[in-house]
Amino acid sequence: MTFEERHFWLRRLHSLSGIVPIGGYLAFHLYENYTATRGGEAYNRMVRNLQETPFAIFLEIGIIIVPLLFHGVYGLFVTGTARPNVTSNRYVRNWMYFLQRATGVILFAFVIFHLWTTRLVNIRDHESVDLFRLMQESLQSRWIYAFYIVGILSATFHLANGIWSFSIVWGLTVGPRAQRRMIWVSAAVFLILSFIGIRSIQAFRA
Amino acid sequence: MGVMFNRTPEGLLDFRRFGGTKFHRTAFAGATTGQQLLYALDEQVRRFEVEGLVHKHEMWEFLGLVRDSDGNCRGIVALDCVSMRIEAFPAMSVMLATGGPGIVFGRSTNSVINTGTAASAAYQEGARYANGEFIQVHPTSIPASDKLRLMSESARGEGGRVWVPRARGDKRAPKSIPESERWYFLEEKYPAYGNLVPRDIATREIFQVCLMGYGVGGKREVYLDLTHIPRKELDIKLGGILEIYEKFVGEDPREVPMKVFPGMHYSMGGLWVDYAADPRHGTLDETSPRNQATNVPGLYAAGEVDYLYHGANRLGANSLVACLYAGKIGGPAMVRDGRDRGARLPPGDGAFAGAKKKWEMEFARLARLSGPENPHVIAEEMGDWMTDNVTVIRHDGKLAETDAKLQELAERWDRIGLSDRSSFANREISFVNQLRNMLVLARVMTRGAGRAPARGVPRRALQGARPREGGHGRKRASARRRELPQNDDRRAHRGWPADHLCGGEHVADSAAPAEVLRDRASQRLTGKLPPACPERSASTSAARTLRPPPLTGRSTSCPTDRARTSSRS
Amino acid sequence: MEVAKDPKTRDGRRTSPVVYDRACLEEVCGSCAMRVNGVARMACTALIDSLAQPVKLEPLAKFPVVRDLSVDRSSMFESLKRVKAWVPIDGTYDLGPGPRMAESERAYAYELSKCITCGNCLEVCPQVNDRSSFMGAAPISQVALFNRHPTGRMLAAERLDALMGEGGLDECGNAQNCVRACPKSIPLTTSIAEMFRATTAHGFRKLFGS
Repeated sequence: MTFEERHFWLRRLHSLSGIVPIGGYLAFHLYENYTATRGGEAYNRMVRNLQETPFAIFLEIGIIIVPLLFHGVYGLFVTGTARPNVTSNRYVRNWMYFLQRATGVILFAFVIFHLWTTRLVNIRDHESVDLFRLMQESLQSRWIYAFYIVGILSATFHLANGIWSFSIVWGLTVGPRAQRRMIWVSAAVFLILSFIGIRSIQAFRA
Repeated sequence: MGVMFNRTPEGLLDFRRFGGTKFHRTAFAGATTGQQLLYALDEQVRRFEVEGLVHKHEMWEFLGLVRDSDGNCRGIVALDCVSMRIEAFPAMSVMLATGGPGIVFGRSTNSVINTGTAASAAYQEGARYANGEFIQVHPTSIPASDKLRLMSESARGEGGRVWVPRARGDKRAPKSIPESERWYFLEEKYPAYGNLVPRDIATREIFQVCLMGYGVGGKREVYLDLTHIPRKELDIKLGGILEIYEKFVGEDPREVPMKVFPGMHYSMGGLWVDYAADPRHGTLDETSPRNQATNVPGLYAAGEVDYLYHGANRLGANSLVACLYAGKIGGPAMVRDGRDRGARLPPGDGAFAGAKKKWEMEFARLARLSGPENPHVIAEEMGDWMTDNVTVIRHDGKLAETDAKLQELAERWDRIGLSDRSSFANREISFVNQLRNMLVLARVMTRGAGRAPARGVPRRALQGARPREGGHGRKRASARRRELPQNDDRRAHRGWPADHLCGGEHVADSAAPAEVLRDRASQRLTGKLPPACPERSASTSAARTLRPPPLTGRSTSCPTDRARTSSRS
Repeated sequence: MEVAKDPKTRDGRRTSPVVYDRACLEEVCGSCAMRVNGVARMACTALIDSLAQPVKLEPLAKFPVVRDLSVDRSSMFESLKRVKAWVPIDGTYDLGPGPRMAESERAYAYELSKCITCGNCLEVCPQVNDRSSFMGAAPISQVALFNRHPTGRMLAAERLDALMGEGGLDECGNAQNCVRACPKSIPLTTSIAEMFRATTAHGFRKLFGS
């Protein structure tokens, strides 16, 4: 593979990994966490079920950690090549471009924090953790709660807008009309996932 | 070559009419054919660059020729407009393709870089300049204070109608003037051609109508009306130029008739160039090194800077074809000429150092100019005088006055004060140099316009011109012959405007085209004229993708080709 | 032009005239692009009476400044060379009539061929900057143009290869400012998306096809 092609596939993998598997996992993650609205018991049962999935650790590494790491690190590198200019070009799409990068940076920090406090804590005996209580306790802090809200909204926005640009990068939407229609799809994704995510996080505070 | 011309439903080339034609015969790409051709050529040059065949010196400006002791042109001297370095470029042959002199008239449809400076410099170094006064005034341009923007003839080719209100000074909005109160003066006077009369006639008629007070709102403007044509069709065929009108005037020409007035557009005259006939059948000898050669050995000219193809009046789209054709025959001619005259002068030859030194000293002198005069003021006066007196209406007395004025301006040029003394990207100093050249060229045009009998008809131009083998001698203003031609004062006694405007025999403007065409046709039949090259290649170019002009890669001939010149069609 | 007759500084002292590029003054040459009151546009069509006073002029920031408002736009022309923005022709003999072409196809190509390489699309692009080598929208749209041309298509694969490399198409961040800044209203983002589709197909073809 030539240098050109390597560059090309790196970029495309970055685009792809954002949707599959990371986007898919995000949707699943928010969906499963919605169990929190049914109380700690139900939530912890769901968590246990997941932990008992065959090859859980490999799935975690292969589908979540490695793609996240690649998407995050390469994404930061790509963001490094940007010089946003929303003040002089105040167009919606330019704002989206800016927010995509801003949320990306936020997410990088948020995901590390989130992983650190929920997954890497007590790593040797992860199964014994009462995750619901752990979350409940940490979310008592107003700051952490706010960080979670920002993190969730960043994630849903980043995914929704990512779907929109993914569809351009992979050649699904070409003309302006197709791209406009795609905005509805991406808006729907944003609203639905945000609703689920915010409701779940609220459940921990209740 | 990449120009995608408009197509018929079958996918074949579509054709349109232009002024002076009765048939649809010109292929077109929207309303910006010239622009499209220009881009295609630009792309091809880029390809040659990548292939290592051409080296572009962008942002360099032509200053003068390098001539050896025998008078041969052996290269050029040019100025790097950024570093202000002056350099001599050795060459086997030199081709000037530097465009027209529109800016001599201050405002024209040309690009503002089209000052004719290179042609003038060559003329001052001994190259003949021919038919300088043959200036085409395009009937329809968008009047403005900075420059005139062309409203292409294609607007009329697609059915645009020229009219004025029948009542003088009618203040009503154009759309509210009923059909019966509109004067479609071109259609009325020239039923066969209608709005597509040749350019000089259209120009004169519009001028006259305005002088008679019928101009829109009493001003020097007439309506060019496209509003009867469906919007969609307009966008497809004329979109480019209508957008330009909209941007500059702020009115939608699809809804409101455009307001236009004639503007200086093209110089048919230029550096005299030769061609050679093939003795066997009298047609052009395409292999001769004489094609496109000026009288200075080794110096060639092609494009608007030459004088060859358009007689006294150019027809729409012909300059594009003339450019391509001149390049096509001129390129090989240069190669052959270079070969014939032997090896090029070694770069170390004294001729180069001498020419370089001369210009370096000249620019050092220009940099020291510190008088009270401002070059831009002088340029404006020159432009105004030239536009008023050497375009549509040319009156002998006024021509003499203009000539005197130009000499006065030349004197004032000596007292110019330079407002920019930096030695980096100094546009002012190169403008001052160009201005001097423009003033010289302006005089050539003015005195040409005054020559008697009035030129424009080649048949009459034969008188007083030196006969030349194989040529149809038209008089050349030569560096060696600067006396003012004896004026035939018959004209001076006639009052203008009426006599001069009505296409009478003494109009020193471009000739009545029908006459020209007839005349040329008869000369062509008798072998005095070369075959109708422009026309022929017009049909060829229409029939297939255009060929590139041959490039030798050895000629340094593009002074300021960085900025694309404005197109015309 | 009036200013050049008597250039003055704000406090009325004499100064040298401003250096700027211009040629056609009607959006054909592309040389007078600059920022007028902060907006990247062609100076020739910026009519003074429709602008907020005092007018603020700045050179384009994405190109090296030569002097005052004059910039060196050669990076854009280099990009055009890189993507082979031309129709490959031999030209040494008569090739006969060109290929037939549908008028609708021609009409669309015409929109793309209006590019005047002014550089405004690069100026407003957040991805064209000193940190990245992105070529910007203009050259990409030219690939879209020449890959549509019946003869130009002969180089289609090479052009796509050029777009796939660093500084090429995938550097685009879909901010879509370019299409708004274009003075000739070229559908730049459509060209870009079209090239995304083409490179996707091209990439897979190279990966699995041969």
